[in-house]
Amino acid sequence: MVKFSRRSFLQASGLAAAGLASPVGMPAVLRSAQAQSGPVKLGCLFSSSGTMANLEGRLNYVVKMAADEINAKGGVNGRTIEVLVSDPASDWPLYAQTAKQMLQQEKVAALFGCWTSVSRKTVLPVVEQEGGLLYYPLHFEGDENSKNVVYVNSPPASSVLPAVDYLMSDDGVSAKRFFMLGSDYVWPRTINKQLKGYWASKGIPESAWKEEYVPFGFSNFQTLVNQIRAFADQGGGQPVVVLTVVGNSIPDFMREFANQGILATDIPVLGLDMVEADLEGLDTSKLVGHLNCWAYLQNAAGPANEAFLKSWAGYVGANKVPFSPDVSIDPMVSAYDSVHLWAMAAAKAGSFDVPEVSKAFAGLSFDCPSGYKISMTGENNYVARGVFIGSVNDKQGFDILWQSKDTPTPVPFSPYG
Amino acid sequence: MKHWFLPSFLFGLLAGAWLLPAPAAQAAGLDRAGLVQDLCGDAGAMGRAGAALTATAATGSDDERAWAAPLARAAIDRKLACDAAGAVLTEGGLDALTRAPREAQGTPRSPLLSLKNRPVYELADAAFALRGAPDAGRRAAALRTLERRPALIPEGLLDMAAEAEGDAGLKAQIEALAQTAALNAADPAARIRALSRVADNRSRRALTQVTALAQDPAYASNPEFRAAVDAATARIERGIAIGDALATLYNGLSFASILFMAAIGLAIIFGLMGVINLAQGELIMIGAYVTFMVQQGLRHAAPALLDWYLILAIPAAFLVTAAIGIALEALLLRHLYRRPLMSLLATWAVSLFLVNLVRVVFGTQNLQFETPFYVSGGVPVIGDFIFTWNRMFAIAFAAVTLALTWLVVRKTPLGLNIRAVTQNRDMAACIGIPTRRVDMMAFGLGSGLAGLAGLALSPIYSVNPQMGQNFIIDSFMVVVLGGVGTIAGTVVAALGIGQINVLIEPLWGAVAAKVIVLLMIIGFLQWRPEGLFAVKGRRK
Repeated sequence: MVKFSRRSFLQASGLAAAGLASPVGMPAVLRSAQAQSGPVKLGCLFSSSGTMANLEGRLNYVVKMAADEINAKGGVNGRTIEVLVSDPASDWPLYAQTAKQMLQQEKVAALFGCWTSVSRKTVLPVVEQEGGLLYYPLHFEGDENSKNVVYVNSPPASSVLPAVDYLMSDDGVSAKRFFMLGSDYVWPRTINKQLKGYWASKGIPESAWKEEYVPFGFSNFQTLVNQIRAFADQGGGQPVVVLTVVGNSIPDFMREFANQGILATDIPVLGLDMVEADLEGLDTSKLVGHLNCWAYLQNAAGPANEAFLKSWAGYVGANKVPFSPDVSIDPMVSAYDSVHLWAMAAAKAGSFDVPEVSKAFAGLSFDCPSGYKISMTGENNYVARGVFIGSVNDKQGFDILWQSKDTPTPVPFSPYG
Repeated sequence: MKHWFLPSFLFGLLAGAWLLPAPAAQAAGLDRAGLVQDLCGDAGAMGRAGAALTATAATGSDDERAWAAPLARAAIDRKLACDAAGAVLTEGGLDALTRAPREAQGTPRSPLLSLKNRPVYELADAAFALRGAPDAGRRAAALRTLERRPALIPEGLLDMAAEAEGDAGLKAQIEALAQTAALNAADPAARIRALSRVADNRSRRALTQVTALAQDPAYASNPEFRAAVDAATARIERGIAIGDALATLYNGLSFASILFMAAIGLAIIFGLMGVINLAQGELIMIGAYVTFMVQQGLRHAAPALLDWYLILAIPAAFLVTAAIGIALEALLLRHLYRRPLMSLLATWAVSLFLVNLVRVVFGTQNLQFETPFYVSGGVPVIGDFIFTWNRMFAIAFAAVTLALTWLVVRKTPLGLNIRAVTQNRDMAACIGIPTRRVDMMAFGLGSGLAGLAGLALSPIYSVNPQMGQNFIIDSFMVVVLGGVGTIAGTVVAALGIGQINVLIEPLWGAVAAKVIVLLMIIGFLQWRPEGLFAVKGRRK
């Protein structure tokens, strides 16, 4: 006969209560029972608080919008899609923790998330261990190829290098000297390392470039802009700034740059992470002509973009989304593409199992709002995208200065790094 | 820019109409149809069109210039609509070639200037303006644009412009620029004159230009020229050295003013009550948001005063944040004075609450501020030193705040009470100072100063709900280093940290600068834990 002491009774009942009250324990049991019939779940890993909130926050809504579109057409494999939203609060380790929860407890079929490379790097071991699938919508430094991550946006070989090539060409500004300014973390450092390798391979001497890093969230760019001016005035050919600072450092840098009287025609800035949202609140009439490069710009021509812009504006209006209805940035479109690419792969595989879905990637293609037909091959998990170079206009947007003829084949591992 | 645009536009229209009966005049010089076609072509064709426009500005006849001037402006502003039948100037709806009113057909394309072509068109536009703009201010602006690229100015343009110029001062400036352009002329006397002109602009760019002349054959053969080059080089180098020193001082002062504004409110609160107010950064942020709301209010109520919103918002920013501070003190901190750790946590909670409240009400995006003339752009002083107005605004604002705070703390009864309570709370209470009310007023003062910091920072930094979090660490650094509760300490610490940061940054980079400054402060506090200026007397 089992004797209950007061302590063991309390322990046991406490455990039982915890099991009952736990918000995850019980629903998980119910969920697995109805797994074959209920909606299939997708998880979002985009922050709605912290430094990245203004940028990442809008991607949650885009994923929902894409899911709504697919649901309106009857869902995937006979099931509707449900989108789960989280808030990793711009705290890099929290991305991994949230991803783990979503995969283990919510059993999401795929994750869509991360903006900074540092957050992707923390999630990477989690999706690999749990056999999950992460769609990453940002252009990034490459040098990574996990079977559990779909790199929806471009590695440097098909984003940064074409833009730098353009700047160095006669059609561009025949750039000869380069000032690299970045936030101090993996993406800027890797990009700059590859750029240096690239320039070295072109026979450009080491004296033609300079590299500076600032901490995350840095805003006091006075001294650095002085340094850029001194660098430019040394002579030796047209200088350009390759800007890889992120977040609020971008508008703060551009403001100081314009205030010190430097125009794009003197020293153009190629802002690799600069999007329309970064120009909000800036007087862009003195910034006209500065550049960025992405796989999509809001001014992209074509019916696919018109449809996307219209449905985003409609979605914002109908759901009271706290973001601008008439600003559309590359990562939004890439997140939108991600959901559709996943749905196509799942439909092709006839399953939601990650290995099955992954096998179906080869040969997928989708009419991206950018106007290009983006596609995947069986070779890797990269997506072939078009390349745009944008030029800041006086209406806080980007005009398309140059765009690639077709979608270059993505090269995951840079030969220059 | 637009001022002269319309009249000259009308003039262009008149000239075009006047030309119609005499097509022979068109055929003589400029190939107008070809130019319009090139304007709508690819980057190469647009480059040719730009060169043709620049040449027209220098050598074209009056009516050719009047015809071509609007084209350069329209290409820069993207107000040119290319269609199957040529091009239309969208502002005014006139055909680019004939200047007859017409609508663009189909879906017109408005060509975008490439980075390479943009300066060419800006030069052409400035050249047209210099010779044709009726407004002297516009001509002066055009001259400044031309000065940026003396090498590209077409020959003869400046001479003709100087000849036609009515304004004596402007005429002298044009002639000076013309002399500068003679740096590579054949006549040695003209070159020497040009050298002294170039040396007037003591920048690194001028130095590169002048030092290149040392390779010139004339440098070896002509001793006079050689002496002039050496003198110019020495003069420019001296200017650059002075400019660099001034720039370092100015950058340090500007960073110090930001640190001081962020820290002064905290110094009063921390010094008086020993409360570590983690919501101080959010009060800065709210000050900036109040400034924004004043701007929006003025936009609707009194658009004429819109440019002065930064001044008009001062009382609002101070009072709103002071009221929030007083409410915070009365409702929350008053109950936690004996528990410093709890007050730290409580103010942290308040900071999170305020950030999220603002996020819900205003959204996460950066706010759109007007940039009135007194906080935009800058003037080059000497060498590479540029005096930027937004920084100057912050420095002046910090100086005025310092003066007023000093007056309040030193010369008013409230200040006397604050100092008494800071030095010895129990004794102050014994002699009848209402310490609770002093706490409340001081907290209000400290919070109000944070609000003013937000106002002063809005022309420099991006304003969004997270902006306050950047300041809290820096401002604590200043307060602790300066010695708790002293204004002088806050000033000296801000100046010191600002200047040291600026000195280290170019040597080892911004990341190392932060680390080194922090290590220096830790080292200093080991040696002098009470900070630079300790309040004499017994502290608890």
